[in-house]
Amino acid sequence: MQTRTKLNTIGRNTHRKDGIGKVTGTEQYASDVSVPRAWYGGVLRSPHAHARIASIDTSAAEALGAVCLTFADVPRVKYNERTNCAPPHLYRDRYVLDDTARHVGEAVAAVAAPTRALAEKALRAIKVEYEVLPAMLCAADALKDGAPKIHETILYRGKETPIEHNVAVTRLIEVGDIEKGFAEADSIIEREFEAAPVYHAQMETKSVVCKPAVDGSITVWATTQSIHNTRQLLAEIYGLPLHKINVKKIAIGGTFGSSIQMNSVVPICVGLAIKSGRPVKIATTREEDMYDHCRYQVRITLKLGFKADGTLVAGHMKTTVELGAHNTQGYHFLGVIAGFWVSLYKLPNMKYEGTAVYTNRTPSCAMQGFGAPQATFVTEVIMDEIAELLGRDPVEYKLTQYRGLGDTFWGQGPTVKSIILSDGVPELLEVGAKKIGWDGRPVPGTQTGRFRRGIGMARSFHCSGVGQPRKTGAEMIDYSGAIVKLNEDGSIDYIQSLMDHGGGTCEAIAKLVAEEIGVPLSMVGISDVDTNTTVYDITTHATRGVFAGGAAALKAAKSVKAKILDYASQLLDIMSESLVIEPSEELGQGVIYCPGYPEKRMTLGELAKYLHVNSWGTIAAVESLHPVTAPPAYVTYFVEVEVDTETGVVKTLAAALGSDCGTVVNPGLAAGQLTGGLSKGAGCALIEAHQWDRQTGELASKGFWVDGKTLSILETPLLENLHIDFAHTYEPTGPFGAKGIGEASINPALAAYSNAIYNALGIRFREVPITAEKILAALSTKKVRRTQPAQRELVNS
Amino acid sequence: MFAEFDLEMPNSLDEAVLALARSDGIETLTLAGGSSLMVDIRARRVVPERLISLARINELRRIEILGPRITIGSRTTVSDILRSNQVAEHGAALAASAEVFAGQMVRNVATVAGNIACGSPAADLVPPLLSLDADVVLTNASGFRTVPLADYFTGFKQDVRRPDELITAISWDVPGAKCANRFYKLARRKGDAITVTGVAVTLGAANGVCTKARVALGAVAPIVMRARAAEAMLEGSTLTVELIEEASLKAAEECQPIDDIRASADYRRHAVHMLTRRLVAGAWADLHLATEVS
Repeated sequence: MQTRTKLNTIGRNTHRKDGIGKVTGTEQYASDVSVPRAWYGGVLRSPHAHARIASIDTSAAEALGAVCLTFADVPRVKYNERTNCAPPHLYRDRYVLDDTARHVGEAVAAVAAPTRALAEKALRAIKVEYEVLPAMLCAADALKDGAPKIHETILYRGKETPIEHNVAVTRLIEVGDIEKGFAEADSIIEREFEAAPVYHAQMETKSVVCKPAVDGSITVWATTQSIHNTRQLLAEIYGLPLHKINVKKIAIGGTFGSSIQMNSVVPICVGLAIKSGRPVKIATTREEDMYDHCRYQVRITLKLGFKADGTLVAGHMKTTVELGAHNTQGYHFLGVIAGFWVSLYKLPNMKYEGTAVYTNRTPSCAMQGFGAPQATFVTEVIMDEIAELLGRDPVEYKLTQYRGLGDTFWGQGPTVKSIILSDGVPELLEVGAKKIGWDGRPVPGTQTGRFRRGIGMARSFHCSGVGQPRKTGAEMIDYSGAIVKLNEDGSIDYIQSLMDHGGGTCEAIAKLVAEEIGVPLSMVGISDVDTNTTVYDITTHATRGVFAGGAAALKAAKSVKAKILDYASQLLDIMSESLVIEPSEELGQGVIYCPGYPEKRMTLGELAKYLHVNSWGTIAAVESLHPVTAPPAYVTYFVEVEVDTETGVVKTLAAALGSDCGTVVNPGLAAGQLTGGLSKGAGCALIEAHQWDRQTGELASKGFWVDGKTLSILETPLLENLHIDFAHTYEPTGPFGAKGIGEASINPALAAYSNAIYNALGIRFREVPITAEKILAALSTKKVRRTQPAQRELVNS
Repeated sequence: MFAEFDLEMPNSLDEAVLALARSDGIETLTLAGGSSLMVDIRARRVVPERLISLARINELRRIEILGPRITIGSRTTVSDILRSNQVAEHGAALAASAEVFAGQMVRNVATVAGNIACGSPAADLVPPLLSLDADVVLTNASGFRTVPLADYFTGFKQDVRRPDELITAISWDVPGAKCANRFYKLARRKGDAITVTGVAVTLGAANGVCTKARVALGAVAPIVMRARAAEAMLEGSTLTVELIEEASLKAAEECQPIDDIRASADYRRHAVHMLTRRLVAGAWADLHLATEVS
């Protein structure tokens, strides 16, 4: 393991550059953008889960003074709103507005009007006659023989391709020979799991402002994780050259993955702006947002074969994913579930069969963890069970089977392979076990009395991006660009289109730049940019922001530094290899000097000024970078719970969370990621689940926040019971040894809670959320259960 | 969602009841804190043409003790209740429910009368008030009348209040020393959550015998209800673990819960059993006549 050099900025808690704006409410989000002459847009949404629009009459709305948009007004271009996959893997099945609604809440028409009140009145004045079609609200209904089709055809590899039985995509992945593997197994275990769809519950609802100009160009401010992808897709739909579309980078009020795609209101707003010739703003309501996106519903059956010594020899996983009304990324999602599964533990023989099904429900999209929470849930609960059957400590057992240093790893699916070069798992498990009191945990099923305590452990990881070594054939596009510029006073402009979800990604990258060049962090500015003035960045997703986006900025910073040293070498008459740059707190500047020759020194400001006054030119660099690895950002969870057997309510008493994110760039913010992961993860494990009314196809919550609950700070363990540790690792392929953290921080939660509740009650839960009701129901049938020993379900082969 | 309505802001109670009397067939509603009404308007469950705001009527915002009665003005907020020593002393269950009522921002605006008038069976202040035998004062332009809270609700979101009447006060007898009052709210999370089951219990005792029992159940019937059969089992007896268990099961039998997004009917019934048992035993213990339970 490489040793770290002395770091000035990285690893220290510093004031966030956007912090004051955020806490004082002056930060601008898309919905805060105010453009003169702007009209307000609104969207009419389908009350039916599946219906064809027989007729639509907008005359009454237009009589009120509104401009209306229906499917007849928008380009008939079929698209996929998420363009991170390479084009051969894009499944295009939606239009800006369509003549068919495929879920309750799908956009049917839109209006723009001078006031919000008038826009709403105009929406109510639109008359739509629907031909209501049978709705399929679950996979079982959608897959039935003769079930009506949700999509007749989709656009795939340039051809209209029929969809059969509402199956959007399937995936088969095989490694080795499972028949041979299971034949070698001493024992086989097979279990079924289910994880419910949940709402992202990000703070900002999706918003967009579009300003058209007389030359036909448009400027767009949108809630998005990728301004360049938004621009490209708008160009594709509206047939504009890219230079005529400028998408502005703007603060995001959290996404948790829900804006990985170009949000459906964005092209609607552009359509309204083009038709009305005015700037238009759409700020969706919470109810609209809740009908807009959710996490995939996943059912998984996993069969694992293992030897008497615990060695895993074969695994067979079958997955059914419910997509909802559109296939945003089903192909990739099926692939990552397989990847996350097999990259957790060494498995010489595996078979994976995944099916993604359309239903007439809210479309699913990426959410923090993207398949890893579900794959980890299944794997870590079953591994806990195997450890118990073998009479071994789960921590000890898992350490003998997991994929770590030197092993092959393909978390982001079979086309994204690399070798693990940094691994903090043993360290994190040791520290976490000690802090939670793992060795003192109860024996499952032995407690009586009202309150029962249990400790559960689970480990997982997320890939830092989707980088891989091959030059062509990648399933995913993955590169970032950045510009770094030395200003005339020695300060630095860091210019990048990469979005910051609110976790401090750009702040971390500014630190990498400051560290590399050798200036105080206060001398690096994060530029307010747009697509016209930046180079491409794929998206802030896949836990890639610091690892991949940061690496691109670091590459540009290195180029700038080389040029600085080259010029300084000429001015100081010192070989550039002998010069160093270090931040001086006293001068508030980077200082260039030659160790051993104290008189040979100048500040970066003096250099920059000299270059300027003498017309030597600006020092700047633009670089793009495609990472060739996607190293695992490991994370470990130990949680202690208390189950109230009278009400079934589960309380989190303590947690010990560990992260191996390589070099920690922002310790406070990184710890915050883990706390947030625990909070949302506990919500998904214990209470959160979208339900749809089987009759109406509406969300049972009707989109109201009051019944779309996530857990709050009141359910988080007290600070003294919340332990957070970082591994002492260095990732050789990461910027300054850093890996990702964001998504990893939620991934073990479902499994850790299931294992903890098992430890408390002696009952396994393989369906999340593990609600109070499910716990009570299981407790009342426990006696029946306990007469069937777990071993009976094991087949000795 | 935008709504169009006329907003009237009377400066006194007299002006308010006169404004209410002058509805002339216009869909008129009174606006107190708005924490429930604005949600209904936003969802277009109600489309009022005229709102009469009580924001300026300070005489309706008060907590006072006159002789044997404690009176809370109708526009007293949930936060006001939380800050009141008098409520803490003479309505412990009400204070407890105020503490777990929605979240801080809602508590700052939501009013006692609003929580009653919204008619929700999950209204958190109602079980405690019902367990305290509170009365509701209804006022119109020609005078006022007093209705026991137990007779106020006639069905789901239905009550005895006439369109020209305003709830102006809620009052109850200051409980004696030999009286205990408890409340518990079960919800899917601790804050900002609608109640799955809420139970309030008041017990009075003399000479080791339970002289008075009130068990009020929230979110398990079309209205907040009293478990009268359970109360009858407790009154007149010395409470034992067995009797408390029996009465709690009776309360669970009496309630009429439904399945909804927050919980199933079965779970609610079970919660009534558990919470009633826990609260009755706790209240009995409060009376220094503790029996060992569970």
